[in-house]
Amino acid sequence: MSALENQKHPNPVWRFFCSVRLTIVLLILLALVSIAGTLIPQREASMAFARNLSTVNLKIFLALDLFDIYHAIWFRFLIGILALNLIICSINRFPGVWKRFTALPRPDRQKPFEDQPGELSFLVDGEWKTVVEDVEQVFRKKYRRVRAKASNDVHYLTGEKGRFTHFGFYLVHLSILIIIAGAIVGSIFGFEAYVNIVEGGQVDHANRTSSMAPIALGFTVRCDRFSVEFYDNGTPKEYRSDLTFLKDGKTLANMSTRVNHPARFQGITFYQASYGMVVGDHCRLKIIYAGSTPTTSVIEVKRGVQTLLPGSRDHFQVADIRENFMNMGPAVLIRIQPAQGQETSFWVFQNHDEIEKQFPGLTHKFIKLNPSAFKPYTFILRDVDTRYYTGLQIAKDPGVSLVWAGCFLMVGGFFVTFFMSHRRIWIRITREKTGTRISLAGSASKNPVGIERELSHLARHMQDHVARKGREAA
Amino acid sequence: MNSIILSYITFVYFGAFFFYLLMMVMRKEIFGKIATTICVLGLAGHIFAVVLRWVESYKLGIGHAPFSNLYESLIFFSFTIILLYLIVEWRTKNRSLGVFVTPLAFLAMAYASFSPNINSRIQPLVPALKSNWLITHVITCFFGYAAFGLSFALSAMYLLKRLDHNGGSRFFLRLIPDKGILDDLNYQMVVIGFLMLTLGIITGSVWAHSAWGSYWSWDPKETWSLITWLIYAAVLHSRLVRGWRGRKIAILCMIGFSCVLFTYFGVNYLAGLHSYAKS
Repeated sequence: MSALENQKHPNPVWRFFCSVRLTIVLLILLALVSIAGTLIPQREASMAFARNLSTVNLKIFLALDLFDIYHAIWFRFLIGILALNLIICSINRFPGVWKRFTALPRPDRQKPFEDQPGELSFLVDGEWKTVVEDVEQVFRKKYRRVRAKASNDVHYLTGEKGRFTHFGFYLVHLSILIIIAGAIVGSIFGFEAYVNIVEGGQVDHANRTSSMAPIALGFTVRCDRFSVEFYDNGTPKEYRSDLTFLKDGKTLANMSTRVNHPARFQGITFYQASYGMVVGDHCRLKIIYAGSTPTTSVIEVKRGVQTLLPGSRDHFQVADIRENFMNMGPAVLIRIQPAQGQETSFWVFQNHDEIEKQFPGLTHKFIKLNPSAFKPYTFILRDVDTRYYTGLQIAKDPGVSLVWAGCFLMVGGFFVTFFMSHRRIWIRITREKTGTRISLAGSASKNPVGIERELSHLARHMQDHVARKGREAA
Repeated sequence: MNSIILSYITFVYFGAFFFYLLMMVMRKEIFGKIATTICVLGLAGHIFAVVLRWVESYKLGIGHAPFSNLYESLIFFSFTIILLYLIVEWRTKNRSLGVFVTPLAFLAMAYASFSPNINSRIQPLVPALKSNWLITHVITCFFGYAAFGLSFALSAMYLLKRLDHNGGSRFFLRLIPDKGILDDLNYQMVVIGFLMLTLGIITGSVWAHSAWGSYWSWDPKETWSLITWLIYAAVLHSRLVRGWRGRKIAILCMIGFSCVLFTYFGVNYLAGLHSYAKS
């Protein structure tokens, strides 16, 4: 039928876009392209793959955007064509659908009654006139647009249900357009970004996921606390960041974000994405003084603060704290500026003993790694403060509500399209010598089994109703 | 305990398959009745074991619905196939589909129970899975998969039935219903599967929106579910609008089901966000 309609239209461009063959080709094409996108490493993952390509291949891949297929212009173009195809198909089919929606078949058609099972034609007791009235009353209650045609001995009725279901597929198609619109709104007016915040730290910018360019949030967010809970078997149970949102130094909101429970502030959503450790500003040092009166002291030192050496008038400071220095674990840089003599600076490892075991003599060979470089002191690093940082994913997507609306509409549209049908019923009430004959017939736009069931149900209902009315009259 | 019961259920479903086959070969309805009885009993045991697993997880203090890893999903997949099949058998009063469907169920069970790569222990939920959407997402997806599985079996039956040119000369093909009935039933399965897959994708993206920060991130599993959706959308359009019937639809449905299988198993070989479904 659609093929015929296509041929009628004079404009070849229109003819091209209104063909369902194009739809099927596009659906399969999109499927194939999507398959390619799952086989070729995309975006961040593509680096290693790209390195093994020849220059020519690499040029082809880059020119076709094959490392970011789903965001490539031509991929969007395909979706655009599909949307256009959908709109033009819908417009093209509208007159036909409208005709089926508004059609009013004559009540006295005979054709539907041919080949109906016997049980749908039955005799009832009662005078023809009253039976007609009773049946019509029942029928009008259950069906819409009931029309009647009466002659001397035959009374015809026709009615229908669910004629709006012809528009079911429009709901589905509209829902797809709404979802596409939601995606477009999201990509124009929204953003995706990420940021790491150290416990106690705060940011007012984040980095865009796609370009790493900074983006202003319009407010400040502080991470007050990050915590991770574990199950007994050691697998993680919950990650949680307690966040404070501030503007101009004023606290506006306190929220926490967990996996599956993002925090939302001023239209921007914060998701718990990752976490890690960074060293803080404090460390604990054990200092052994091997002078005339040997002493051992343990002190806590803050980075960059001049501290008095035990048993001396000289000062030292922790100039740097590294989480993992030279791949040998945490270390601090000690810098001593004595009153007389040269400045001395050297690194002290937390894992000094193990390093000494692994590379005997290493720390004594290099003065920069020797914890006893400033005589008669020996520095031992007990531990360094570590702090968690939380990795937050940040998104703003004003198109989401459109997408959800589209999803709702799509599911509703499916129900209308697949599970509901337009059913027409014809009833013929004939005066016969032995009584009154009621015959039923019907047709449905889909689900032929359903209409048979409905007809036999209606037949039984009418028999009962007429019989009851008859008893009441008697 | 529950996993031991479930490994026995594998053999029960194999028994059901055996009797369905016997019915087809010997053309004796009694074997079909035995097969159906075995199937129903297997399903009852299956439900019991899944509920038991659920209860056991709470006793371990890590209570969650048993839908959290590959083992549990295979068990649930097999359950949905048998349940959906029994409903279809009851509605159509025809048992021949059983020969083609029970192998899917028992293979899924056997893979879950006897593959050395699959861990049947109850494990605590990782933070990403701790969501109310887990149950809805898994149920809708797997009923979709099961309906597509039945559609695959019906398509296979259709293509076999086409070999039956001279009215049932071959012993096996006679009990398979007419091609028209198969085609109709196949269409119904595709509709159910398509609706469920759509709901599965929607619930999945609502969940992803709150867990991963985006309702669609082109993760391989997401992408493959979309590919599957596109294929079945093509099936429905070619049938409803272009009027394709029979062989072409059957072949498309088989392609569709291979996409379902890839969505389910294949993507585990691709890197992605759905990694908890791997083991």
